[in-house]
Amino acid sequence: MTTGSIIFAQNNSTVDYVKLAIFSAIKIKQHLDIPVSLITDIKSWVEDTYPDHPFDKIIEIPNDTTIQKKHFHDGTLSSHKLEWKNQLRSSVYDLTPYDRTLVVDSDYLLNSDILKSALDNEYDFQIYRNSFDLAGRRNNSEFVRINQYSIPFYWATVFIFNKNTITENFFTLVAYIKANWLYFRNLYSIESSIFRNDFAFSIAIHIMNEKTAGNFAVELPGIMTYITDRDFLVTIKDTSIQFLLEKKDHPGEYIASKTQGLDVHVMNKLSLGRFIDGGSGV
Amino acid sequence: MSKGFLLFAQNTDSVNYVTQAYALALSIKFSQHEIKNVSLVTNDKVPKKYQKVFDQIIPIPWFDETTDTALKGEHRWKLYHATPYEETIVLDSDMLLLEDITSWWDYCGNSDLKFCNQITNYKLDIVNDTYHRKTFIANQLTNPYYALHYFKKNRPAYEFYKVLEFVCNNWEWAYGRFAPDEYQNWLSMDLATAIAIEISGMYEISTDTCSPLRFTHMKTPIQGWTPIPVSWQDTIPYVLNSTGKLVVGNIKQNELFHYVEKNFISKRILSRLQELADGS
Repeated sequence: MTTGSIIFAQNNSTVDYVKLAIFSAIKIKQHLDIPVSLITDIKSWVEDTYPDHPFDKIIEIPNDTTIQKKHFHDGTLSSHKLEWKNQLRSSVYDLTPYDRTLVVDSDYLLNSDILKSALDNEYDFQIYRNSFDLAGRRNNSEFVRINQYSIPFYWATVFIFNKNTITENFFTLVAYIKANWLYFRNLYSIESSIFRNDFAFSIAIHIMNEKTAGNFAVELPGIMTYITDRDFLVTIKDTSIQFLLEKKDHPGEYIASKTQGLDVHVMNKLSLGRFIDGGSGV
Repeated sequence: MSKGFLLFAQNTDSVNYVTQAYALALSIKFSQHEIKNVSLVTNDKVPKKYQKVFDQIIPIPWFDETTDTALKGEHRWKLYHATPYEETIVLDSDMLLLEDITSWWDYCGNSDLKFCNQITNYKLDIVNDTYHRKTFIANQLTNPYYALHYFKKNRPAYEFYKVLEFVCNNWEWAYGRFAPDEYQNWLSMDLATAIAIEISGMYEISTDTCSPLRFTHMKTPIQGWTPIPVSWQDTIPYVLNSTGKLVVGNIKQNELFHYVEKNFISKRILSRLQELADGS
């Protein structure tokens, strides 16, 4: 039985997701000691630009023709409306070369081996439902349920699955939801018109649970810790990360914070990119 | 040993509780695999069509027509004396039983008396109801739900019901003595039960955290909505499908569903319940 990790990277005009994926892959290898493969629509560009990349395999997918744009904040005072290519996540079942796969977003930074225990167990599908905002004071209800009238929210940011008929059905269902997004969006009263894997996964998990409180999706160990794109990553040293977190009622002002040995979802990709380029993320 | 469900109905000018009890009895017939016995305690007229789903229709014992309260709840302590079964599960009439609960009977069979002490909202989240239960919290009472409870016909249950009778018949005194804070100025069977537990010291009958007795409670303040709407039926979609699955807000409801809003039992829902019971 083979175990490995997958990171998706589809660049847009401003964010080099491949650069983030390389940084994330190095951390995965360091803490979990498993091979990491990249799924991208620019394989030859990656090989030319990053010849020393850490990937086990680079798997090419067609360019995503569905153009979706969303605001990428860079702290509280700056934002860019950029392309967001996230439509191919459901194809990971067919694309992964591993029997057991850890899928990680390129902006998710491992600083511990907490996911090792999840890779060692037998559950078919593991994902985070519980999360923790490092800022601590923001309303996080959007990450508890997909809205106040509806079903639990799951993070498609990190998940582990075994290849078998059950998970194949799950990813087929995610693809079906994506193909019929307008219908499902309406059925589940989702306000945003943007397709989000988090929503599609949440709906698919709900259906796999027979629309009730089931056990198809097992919670990953620990808790999904995150900063939003209104915060900054300042610097990383070994397993320690320093942040500036949006201050309540004071736009443009921040509170310093630091984590040690904690996996963190850094939603401000622009800030993470600046740090990787060799400086401060601010 | 005979086992069965016991329902209570006392119609008011605005609510036909007999029809609700009939709907619940239909749901028991289609959802239960082993124990489908159901009897109704009522003094109201039960239409012929409804009568066939009940084992027995039992008059309210010691009935005094001159007594009246808004909820007419003062007769419900009599259910112990009215039941035709040796083991009884009491359900409020504005409920539907959606799944087999044989395991509840097995679990409760180890006890003389067991009250539900946990509820969920339709999202299936366990709810600590601080909205309606202020007096329970303020006076550090246990948290029983009379709407779902089990008892055996035996001495301990009889003695508990004697205490409950006393509390119901002297509720203003009992409330003043045992629930003076956040005082509730009407007789509620839940509060009367909590006080009876306090007096009798039978805390174990409503503090069992492993008890499977649980139901979905549809009072709008405990659904986790802001602002709180008047009606859940106007807020989220729901369907009772042809296989008997009740899906509320896209979430399939389990076991016992307390719909609360009396107009939920529409002609359409009643007709679906009849089809399901006929096919079971």
